[in-house]
Amino acid sequence: MVVALTMAAMKVAVLRNSMNSQKAGLVVAGAVLGLILAGGTIAVAFVGDPDAGSVTGWHTGDLLAAAYAVWMLGWIFGPVFIGGGDETLRPEYFTLVGLRPRRLAFGLLTASFIGVAPAVSLVALAALVVFGVRVGSAVPVLIALPAVLLSLVVFVLLSRVATAVMGLALRSRVGAIAAGLSNGVILAALGQGWVFFVAFQQVGGIPPTASAILRYLPSGWGLAAVEAAAQGQWPRAAAALAAMCLLIVLLLGAWAALLTRRTSAARPSVRGRRPMTAASPQGAVVAKELRTWTRDLVRNHQLTFALAYAVFFTSCMLFMGMNGLLPYTGAVFVLMAGAMSANLYGTDGTVLWLTLMTPGASEVRGRQWAWLLTVGPVGLALTVAGAAITGGPWPLPLALTAALLGGAAGIVPLISVYALVPGIDPHRRGGNPLRSSEDDGSLTGLAYAVIGLGGLTGVPAGLVASSYGWPGVVVGLVTGALCVWGLGALAESRLRSHGPELLQMMRTGKRPESQSGRWKKFDDLPKRDQIIATVGWSLGAIPLFPQGIVAGVQKANGTTEKSWFLALHVPDPWAWPVVVFMVLLGIAMYGGALWVSYRPRPKKEEAVAAAAA
Amino acid sequence: MTAALEIAGLSKAFGEKVAVDHVDLTVPQGSFYGLVGQNGAGKTTTLAMAVGLLRPDSGGARIFGADVWSDPDTAKALVGVLPDGLAMPERLTGREVLTYLGLLRGLSKDVVAERAGELLEVLELDSAENTLVIEYSTGMRKKIGLATALLHAPRLLVLDEPFEAVDPVSATTIKGILRGFVAGGGSVVLSSHVMALVEQLCDHVGVIDEGRVAAAGTLEEVRGSGSLEDAFVELVGASGAGAKELTWLSR
Repeated sequence: MVVALTMAAMKVAVLRNSMNSQKAGLVVAGAVLGLILAGGTIAVAFVGDPDAGSVTGWHTGDLLAAAYAVWMLGWIFGPVFIGGGDETLRPEYFTLVGLRPRRLAFGLLTASFIGVAPAVSLVALAALVVFGVRVGSAVPVLIALPAVLLSLVVFVLLSRVATAVMGLALRSRVGAIAAGLSNGVILAALGQGWVFFVAFQQVGGIPPTASAILRYLPSGWGLAAVEAAAQGQWPRAAAALAAMCLLIVLLLGAWAALLTRRTSAARPSVRGRRPMTAASPQGAVVAKELRTWTRDLVRNHQLTFALAYAVFFTSCMLFMGMNGLLPYTGAVFVLMAGAMSANLYGTDGTVLWLTLMTPGASEVRGRQWAWLLTVGPVGLALTVAGAAITGGPWPLPLALTAALLGGAAGIVPLISVYALVPGIDPHRRGGNPLRSSEDDGSLTGLAYAVIGLGGLTGVPAGLVASSYGWPGVVVGLVTGALCVWGLGALAESRLRSHGPELLQMMRTGKRPESQSGRWKKFDDLPKRDQIIATVGWSLGAIPLFPQGIVAGVQKANGTTEKSWFLALHVPDPWAWPVVVFMVLLGIAMYGGALWVSYRPRPKKEEAVAAAAA
Repeated sequence: MTAALEIAGLSKAFGEKVAVDHVDLTVPQGSFYGLVGQNGAGKTTTLAMAVGLLRPDSGGARIFGADVWSDPDTAKALVGVLPDGLAMPERLTGREVLTYLGLLRGLSKDVVAERAGELLEVLELDSAENTLVIEYSTGMRKKIGLATALLHAPRLLVLDEPFEAVDPVSATTIKGILRGFVAGGGSVVLSSHVMALVEQLCDHVGVIDEGRVAAAGTLEEVRGSGSLEDAFVELVGASGAGAKELTWLSR
């Protein structure tokens, strides 16, 4: 217990010390978003039919079970996405203390409960209590209370074990590929999750098989206990609670075992290598890059992630009996591969010094060729396969694939030298080899930037192909080639002019102080403005786009599907005012964030006075 | 005769901290030059600026008369560099790193293959033929770094802490290679905080302290009649920290 309390105190201290204003803003935004989701979960407990006996329609129990399954998946896969999860207290810190694995695991587990995510999850789990009140007397509520706590422990432990397993698996190429596949599928499922709801809507509720499966998942055991108690099935309720206790003991043991494996070193790989046959400087860069694409676990993961994402993203429409997206699998893969490799130079770290010492070699061109050779054939094969399965159309998917291949091959090196995110040098990466940078937020931003800008490079070819057919493919090839050539030349010249600065940034891991004074630095803002800026930038999109514009379009189209659009749920005279309000709210949130972040141009007199001073 | 490396008025500040403050150094052709200083004195920063890996706030550097910043192609072809603690193409084997880099330097395929084989053999890296650089030990990393610095037969070597974490046998090998290089007309600049090593190898010494040149010249000029270590301690003015004892440590 002493160990556990000490570790908890340590985590509090670390969190307090690392709470600079930027991080505080992120934490506030995360907490707000989490509380909205938790509130949604509690709201779910109020809707639907609480009686499990009726045959059709939406059952509260099914909805809650689905919601908790999503929470559990979030706990398991969330940390993998952000690259390693909560590493505030690392097991390596305690190797020299000589704690027994179980005590170490118990201590780290205790510390894991300190943070925003467990608190938010606790709020979401409180929906079980609400459900208990709705289904019956005091008894289900009495069962719900321990169920809430046990579920939280299960969530946290599942998360820690999943992260630990992933950390071990990622030391091998098979593991990195497996992680890439599963992560890609999960992310695509999150993006395309609405497909399932539409599919369920068609059959009028969650099918019995699915609802049974949801209750067999550990996330559904708490709910199963409450439901059993409401029906007076005591053995069943007790069994569910006991199962959770047993699972906790097992997970704790597994985690303790994994912790000891983690703190021991990885073993080197010794295999035959194919000899390098390149004969020119550019060929040498291509050869080096191709080898890195196949041997670097981070890059293995990036490519398989893009592949799994693209395939699942387009094929999950098959659940609704639609295959129209299949021909575009290749285009989605190319764009996603570009987004994943957006920090091309940052991932390789300070090896840039070799490029600086050999100024004659065309480093960027070599990297572009290697990228095209790696991504191109797969993208093309996916496009051809998809179009062959559906029997066309052919011109549009091919035009998009060609244009996006060239566009991404141009944008990726360019953005990675202009907006470099300093990475951790490959030989210094710690327990999780996929954690290539400390700055996950910027990496995500870079990925979105490539998706946005890369998508734009597909627009001309897409427009021509959708109107005139095959000429669009020619346009795609031309714009693609132009992007590769032009953006690559820009990247090359940036690398020549700013190479030492980029190297210094990677060496220190810090971006240089911003030179332009138009945007205020986030850290310099007062606390109140930081909160306004963070909430505005991160959440402004919700009222503006889905709740405002999309809901308006749905309303205008006379859609009956209400989904989560507030405007479609309110009585008729209020629908349009709600849409307008949501749009205005979104604009106001973005405007507020902009207002506090942007420094207006100083007036002439002030500038003169400043210059005189 | 032009100097192998001429550093003039180099300065660099990181924020408030001045790391290098108007450093002038001249490395004559054919000399074995040792740059000594405490940790954080500015050795690494000076050397990084001298070879064009870090842009100075002011001042410049010339390698055999070629300006590092205005004529980088000429200057960088004449120098081989071993930086301290930077990454390598980590997913290549030692031979692949040398092949890649030789081709990048414009050498022909056959020359690269011949030199790579010889370097791996002399530096005893050929036993780890299939091992990727990322799996190398610290000492092996130093050795493959030295091999990349030597590969294109430069006329000047700039080595940052080349002997750190290198085992004694390998250190002897490296010393032999460097001595042979200087005897053949090459010039070497190395940084170190091991005085005995510098005294043993170098004929010229520069002492850097708090970003400034405290002394520079031939080994004899700098150390005078005593040892280099005595001269160094006197120059950097370190207080007699060794005199204080940890009372709880002795029984």
